[in-house]
Amino acid sequence: MNTPAQFYNRILVVEDDPHLSAGVMENLRAEGYDVHAVADGQAALDWLKGEQCGLVVLDVMLPQVDGFTVCRTMREQGNSTPVLFLTARGDPADRVRGLEVGGDDYLAKPFHLQEFLLRVRAILRRWDWYRSASATPDSAVLRFAGNEVDFRAFRARSWNGLAQELTEKEAMILKVLAERPGEIVSREDLLEKVWGYDVFPSTRTVDNFILRLRKRFERDPATPRHFLTVWGVGYRFLIEGES
Amino acid sequence: MKATRLFQVTALALVVVCAVQVGWWLFDQRAYAIEKVRDARALYSQQIAAAQALLDSGTPGGRVSALLPGVVIEGKRATLAPQVDEMLLSEERRRINQYAWEGGFFLLALALCNGVIFRALRAEARVRQEQESFLALVSHQFKTPLASLQLSLETMAMRPLSPDQSRTLIDRMLSDLGRMEAMVTQILESVRLERGRVDLRREPLELSGAVGRVVSHLDERARKERITICADIARGVYVLADPLALDVVVRNLLENAIAAVTPVGGGTITLTARQLAGEVELEVKDSGVGFRPSDGSRLFEKFSRLHPGGGSSYFGTGLGLFIVRRLMQLAGGRVSAHSDGVGQGAQFVLAWPVAPAGPT
Repeated sequence: MNTPAQFYNRILVVEDDPHLSAGVMENLRAEGYDVHAVADGQAALDWLKGEQCGLVVLDVMLPQVDGFTVCRTMREQGNSTPVLFLTARGDPADRVRGLEVGGDDYLAKPFHLQEFLLRVRAILRRWDWYRSASATPDSAVLRFAGNEVDFRAFRARSWNGLAQELTEKEAMILKVLAERPGEIVSREDLLEKVWGYDVFPSTRTVDNFILRLRKRFERDPATPRHFLTVWGVGYRFLIEGES
Repeated sequence: MKATRLFQVTALALVVVCAVQVGWWLFDQRAYAIEKVRDARALYSQQIAAAQALLDSGTPGGRVSALLPGVVIEGKRATLAPQVDEMLLSEERRRINQYAWEGGFFLLALALCNGVIFRALRAEARVRQEQESFLALVSHQFKTPLASLQLSLETMAMRPLSPDQSRTLIDRMLSDLGRMEAMVTQILESVRLERGRVDLRREPLELSGAVGRVVSHLDERARKERITICADIARGVYVLADPLALDVVVRNLLENAIAAVTPVGGGTITLTARQLAGEVELEVKDSGVGFRPSDGSRLFEKFSRLHPGGGSSYFGTGLGLFIVRRLMQLAGGRVSAHSDGVGQGAQFVLAWPVAPAGPT
C-alpha cells in the first residue's frame, strides 16, 4: 500500500488495446506519474479493491465489464477516485452518460497527446486543491444551520438528522462555496473549479447541482436561506443564513 | 428520409380512401339491390290491386290468372304467387351476396398489396439501418489503431527518444497500419460476400494438402507464441470447395485460434478431419481462452469480437468469422463453434460436401 502522497501521483490505465495502453502508459511515465495498466474492466475493479490511485484513465468498450459499469461500480462502492474516460465513442450522448455515471472528464479517440496530458493534469490539480482544502480538521468539516458535512468522507448529516451520501461533484461545489462564504461565486467559476473543462454543454448543470444541495440542506428548498441565487451571475453561500 | 415518410403517409391515405370507397360501394350496391326488389314488389302490388279490382267487378278467377301470371287467386282474393315472392327474395339475397364477395375480394386484394408495400418499405428501412450501423461500427473499429498511430507520432514529435524507443514506436506504428490495412481488406471482402459478388468454384480438393499449406504459413508465428499446431488429417480425403475460399476459412480459424491461445501463455491447436455421410468435417480445437457457450452463434455476426480479456494481444477486426460463415454458406457447407466456457478452449467445425471421386 502506498502513502497518500504516492498514490495521488499514481494513475490506473484501463485499456484493452495493447498499443494504445503502452503509448498512454509511456507518456504518463515520462510526465513523472506512477502508472499501472490493466486490460479489462473486471481487472480494474479487482485492482482498485486492494490499491489506490489519484486517477483512472478508463476506456469505455472493454472486455467483460465495460467502462461505464466500472465507473458506476466504483462510485457505488464509495470509491471517489477521479475518472477520465478515453473512448472511440465520442458522440454527445455518450459524453453525458460518462459524466452521469460519475466520470470527471471525457476524451474521444483519436486524441491529441498534449490535450490528454493537460486534462490529466487539470483533474489531478482539482483534486489536489480539494484535498488540500479539506486537509485540516477545521476545513474537513463544515457546519451550518444544523447540517454537518464531512468533505473527506463525502458524507453529511442534514438538519433533520438524515444521513446524506454526497457525490464528488456535490462535495466539490459545496467546498468551492464554503471557501468563499458570503461572496458571489459565478457559475463559470464553479464550472471551472469543479469540472475544469467544456465537458458540459451549459451552466444549467451547475444550477441542477445547487438544487440538489438545497434539497439536502435547506429547511425549505423553495425559499433557500443558505444557497442563494444571484440572478444573472451565480450563487452566494451564507453559513448563518439569510434573515 | 423525409421523402420516404411523405410517400408512406400518402400511400396510407390512398389505402384508407380506397377502403372507404369500397365500403361505400358495398353499402350503396346493397341499398340499390334492396330498392330494386322493393320496386318490383311495388309493381306486383299494382298487379295484385288490378287483379283484386277485376275479381271484385266479377271477372272470373281463371281469366284474371291468365292475364296476370304473377298473381294467385284464392276464392275472391288475389295474392302474390309464392314462386314470385321466392324469386324476389332470392334475387335480393343473390345480389347482396355477390356484392359482399366482390367487396371482400377487393378489400383483401387491397390489404395484400398494402402488406407487400409495407414489407418492402420495412426491408428497405432495415437495409438502411444496417448500412448506417455498419458505417458506425467500421469508423469505430478504425479509431483505436488511428488513436494509437497518432499517439505514437505525437510522442515522437514531443519527446527526445533513444534509438530503441524510436524503433519500438516505429514498429508499433507499422503494426497499426497493418491492422488498418487488414481491416480495409476484410471490410471490402465482407461487403463483396454480402452482395453475393463472388463466383466460387466447386472442385475436388485434397483436404490434408490444402490445410497443410495454411498450417505451414502460420506455424512459425504460432511457435513464437509457444503454440503447437498439430494437423492429423488422413490423406486422400477430398472435399468439394473453392481453393481460395478454403484457404481463407482455414487461415481465419487458425489465426483466431492462435489469438485465443496466446493470452494463456501458449498451448495446442489440433486439426482433425472425419468423413460423414455426404460431407467432410474439419475440427479446429484450441486450448485457449474459450467463450461462453451461449455466444457460440453470436461469434459469426459482424463485429462481434471475442473479448477474452486477460491481456490479449489480438487485434481482431470482428469480421473474420463473419467472412468464414459467409464463405461456407456459399460453398454449400457449414461452420459451427463450441466452447465449454471461458478458459475451457474452443472447437470450430467446418463441413464441406464430400467429393467422392477425387480430381477428375
